[in-house]
Amino acid sequence: MISVHALSHHYVGRTVLSGIDTVFPTGKFSALIGANGAGKSTLLMLMARQLQPAAGELRLAGMPLSQLTVRQFAQQVATLRQFPDFRLRLTLEELVAFGRYPHSQGRLGPADKAAVDDAIDYLGLASLRGRYVDELSGGQRQLAFLAMTIAQQTPLLLLDEPLNNLDIRHAIDIMRALRRLCDERGCTVIMVIHDINLAANYADHIVAMKHGRVYASGEVAEVMQSALLGEVFGLDFEVQRQHGGYVCNYFTYR
Amino acid sequence: MRWRYPWLILLPLLLLAALFLLQGPAWGNGYLLSRRLWRLGAMLLAALCVALSSIVFQTLSGNRVLSPAVMGYEAAYGLGQALMVLVGGALGVVQPGMAGGFLLSLGWVLGYAWLLQRWLGRASLRLEQYLLLGLVLGMVMDTFAQFARFGASPGEFAVLQGLTYSSFNRVTPQALLYAAAPVALAALWLYRRRAELDVLLLGREQATALGVDYLRCQRRYLALAAVLAAICTSLVGPTAFMGVLVANLAYAIAGSSRHTLTMPLGSALALLLFLLAQWLVEHVFNYRTTVGILVNLLCGVYLLALLLRRKGFA
Repeated sequence: MISVHALSHHYVGRTVLSGIDTVFPTGKFSALIGANGAGKSTLLMLMARQLQPAAGELRLAGMPLSQLTVRQFAQQVATLRQFPDFRLRLTLEELVAFGRYPHSQGRLGPADKAAVDDAIDYLGLASLRGRYVDELSGGQRQLAFLAMTIAQQTPLLLLDEPLNNLDIRHAIDIMRALRRLCDERGCTVIMVIHDINLAANYADHIVAMKHGRVYASGEVAEVMQSALLGEVFGLDFEVQRQHGGYVCNYFTYR
Repeated sequence: MRWRYPWLILLPLLLLAALFLLQGPAWGNGYLLSRRLWRLGAMLLAALCVALSSIVFQTLSGNRVLSPAVMGYEAAYGLGQALMVLVGGALGVVQPGMAGGFLLSLGWVLGYAWLLQRWLGRASLRLEQYLLLGLVLGMVMDTFAQFARFGASPGEFAVLQGLTYSSFNRVTPQALLYAAAPVALAALWLYRRRAELDVLLLGREQATALGVDYLRCQRRYLALAAVLAAICTSLVGPTAFMGVLVANLAYAIAGSSRHTLTMPLGSALALLLFLLAQWLVEHVFNYRTTVGILVNLLCGVYLLALLLRRKGFA
């Protein structure tokens, strides 16, 4: 879906990404993992065109990103960044309707309204649709923003740590919703995530980054190796397989 | 604070407008009525300018206590007036009320805004830096204007002093006609683009993700806010922080951040405030004070109440 070619980026004098080459498979759920400062969010923001690369190229379905207009891009790629504090007076429904802006330019037609309803129902937010977003709990608000992203109905979704500050219930809700987007609608999801256990159990593809480079990438089973993850994070890792899922033990004091 | 039916604001607005137009001997007196109609027109234009420029400016800056006044447009106006007096003497003092004076002042303020805007484009400044630049330049121009005023005779000084407050009595029909077309066009254009303004509320990153070219929009809307602020200042004089009050009241009453509600409501509120102040000036204070002073007083009290209560900021 989206491929990265010899991509480099630096902030004033400091290199954050150097020579990244990787491909994110179409219709799969990919997780970007790595320590703070490894360049995950920068890579995601470059893919989202929020930043301009210093060198290298990104291609969306074979087409260089730079050839798409802002609007064309927004019709194909939905981006959700870390959630800012929200001080606007908008209802959940109004917020979700923003997701239709790339298609409708603000004039909501029947198809747009259907997409908004669908996104709200998809995340089970129907009972909250008339509520003000600034009065929702943190978890509900993050689900509301995710609903806006889903309403955009793009084949590719980019998410930057959408699980920050969420309780386990809401975190699982979001992971399940994204998993279903891939399975039922063929969406491609790329997500920066810190919780390695959630990544291992919900994603298909993992890209592990270290010091601005791709350290390893591949199917979950290929990357979920104790030694490899230990190198990525600089910790003692013990990857266990239980009941068809993964559990990583990196927190036991030795 | 939120009103269930925000359009109810039209009721006191129409009542006050009718009172303003028809009170006293104006009924059947064509001359008096037409004079009042011109003044009402000036209020309407100024109200649109103040409300729309402030709301757009706040949307772009993501800050609810700013108005375009921080960019130094009003200081540029003040400096222009002072310089006119310095160069033209008494003639320069007479000028400002006339259409020629309006155009001269408008050109002067727009020139300043254009220079600032070019700076924004070329130096690729961040918005905060741009605001700071405007603030500093505004202070510099204020100081120069004060300096220039020392050269004025006491009579000229009194007139200059009067020009630092907004008033509708010095607006001429001709100046009003010049201002009407651009203000009407700007208002229409903004209302048509209300959905885009809503998206801009979400901030740079989210707006970009929704397919809005943020930098281009920012330049465009800042320019429009500057034009509106310049027209308003040149027409009726500085309005200082009235825009902040009107915008915040509109957000509170609308109970929504959406521009489809806040822009018309803000304009209506501004007109209401102007009408109220003008009526008070004419019938209660008998021209011993000016609209500008009253408006500033009302706004000041409201803002203080807002800060002290620490809620109701919608």
